[in-house]
Amino acid sequence: MPAILPGGGSKRVVETFETERQAILRRRRTGFALGFLGIGALFLWSFTTSEIIGTPHSTDPLSRLGDFLARMNPDLRGETLFEDANTDGSFLSWFYGWQIWLAALWETLQIAIISSVLGAFLAVPIAMMMSRNLMPISSVRFVLRRILEAIRTLPDLIVALILVAAFGVGPLAGIITITLSTTARLGKLYSEVNENADMRQMEGVKAAGASWWSQIRYGIFPQVVPNYASYAMLKFEGNIGAAAALGIIGAGGIGIELSRAITYTLFADYLAILLLMTCMIFVIDMASEWIRHRLIGVSASGAI
Amino acid sequence: MKTASYDQMIVEAESLAPDLVRRSFLDRLRSYVPFLIGVAIFVWICIDVDIAPAMFLSGFSRLGDFLGNMFPPSSGGQLLRILNALVETFGMAFAGTFLGVVFAIPLGIIGAKNIVSFGPVHFVIRRVFDFFRGIPALVWALILVTAFGLGPFAGVIALALADIPVLSKLYAEAIENVDRKPIEGLRAAGCGRLDVIRYGIAPQVTPIILSQALYYLESNFRNAAILGVVGAGGIGFELEERIRIFAFDEVAFIILLFMVAVAVLDSISGHLRQKLA
Repeated sequence: MPAILPGGGSKRVVETFETERQAILRRRRTGFALGFLGIGALFLWSFTTSEIIGTPHSTDPLSRLGDFLARMNPDLRGETLFEDANTDGSFLSWFYGWQIWLAALWETLQIAIISSVLGAFLAVPIAMMMSRNLMPISSVRFVLRRILEAIRTLPDLIVALILVAAFGVGPLAGIITITLSTTARLGKLYSEVNENADMRQMEGVKAAGASWWSQIRYGIFPQVVPNYASYAMLKFEGNIGAAAALGIIGAGGIGIELSRAITYTLFADYLAILLLMTCMIFVIDMASEWIRHRLIGVSASGAI
Repeated sequence: MKTASYDQMIVEAESLAPDLVRRSFLDRLRSYVPFLIGVAIFVWICIDVDIAPAMFLSGFSRLGDFLGNMFPPSSGGQLLRILNALVETFGMAFAGTFLGVVFAIPLGIIGAKNIVSFGPVHFVIRRVFDFFRGIPALVWALILVTAFGLGPFAGVIALALADIPVLSKLYAEAIENVDRKPIEGLRAAGCGRLDVIRYGIAPQVTPIILSQALYYLESNFRNAAILGVVGAGGIGFELEERIRIFAFDEVAFIILLFMVAVAVLDSISGHLRQKLA
């Protein structure tokens, strides 16, 4: 309120305000300039090391991409589109391997389902041992947290590479890899859910003389299970994509078909498999998102 | 004394409302049915993927051998080469994220409901994002390596292509959640469209854009590490080569080095993200 101050005072207030404003502006501008320079330098460096700029490309990458897309074109012809698989240009001759591909897709889905279910259940006891309100021994919490952090740091595919070498080509390596990563990620999320649970309900059950298991079953689970399920569904969506990618290095499922199509330069096949895979992931994502919204709705009404 | 009255109360209650005190066996069974169906489906799927127990055993014994060979980790005298690959991996991750963000910003603007408000168009744009979201970076990389040839170039494009749909969706949501009040204030003060974007929307959206970009930089660094497996540059190539010749002491060395690098990057980026928030 400068108007109430005597003349000299208000002038001083304005001056100090002005100098402080200038100082803040200067600091912000140097911050911006440094940020821009840093990002710019990183940009130039990263585009050079990854051979996007500064490396003479033997041919123009855009024209190569055009060539490539042309080779991916399945040559569908309007007049024979609905003929059987032996006619050139028909839809069925493009998707000639659909039975094999659907079987491979089903295997990918199986890998995702098995490892999501296993991971979602394995994560429950681990998360309980990691939550501050359920596990009184801090060293156990600390050790488990560090182990799960280490597992989360490792990309799935690096684990899968080693497991494929150990277990051979097939879905088993994929299942173990994704189960590990699902357990590690869900364990952390579940433990956060546990720590946010209302302890008064558990104390109420305890006061009624219930055993430890009943305290968990009736005091904690009703609060946390909808959130558990919602996180598990979210991870399941991601796991389908991960299972598809793992197949490329030999961990079973549609990825094996994808890499086979590339190895034999059957690019139209690749496009067909990719379309099938993406459609499946898209449909499952939509369904799972719908279920998740319903679950969260249930948990929200439960909280009221 | 007390227990007797308690028992009495139970008996009394049971006679009044038998279903409330103890649920009948059939009723209990009925509540387990969905669970049992779930278990049955799960068991059927497990049998259907056809995993032999023998495979399990031999696999774990081989895995034990591998883990035994991992210690002590050794660089195999190629520390410089490995470090170089690690730095290249980071370069790929940064370039991929940069490209992803650059393309995702305009797409996010188009995908925001308060910018393109016509329902069907908004729906179609969002579903297109959802559709492409399903393709993992490695699947893109596999095909781009064939198109562009071996090297990090294909890897960068693969990372960017895998990020664009996800980032676009996140950015569109950020723009949709913008607080209307500053915008209305600017409008009331007579500002034009550009001023509204510059002073009303940008200050709210920029921190979210940057922090999501940092988050995806972390995740891309992890993804970039495996693109080398299909020949798209980075540390994955070194790793796969060593796994193929069973040089697990060097594999362990690379993995440990990579984990340290991830931890360092995560903590730097986490620090920056906290500053932005």
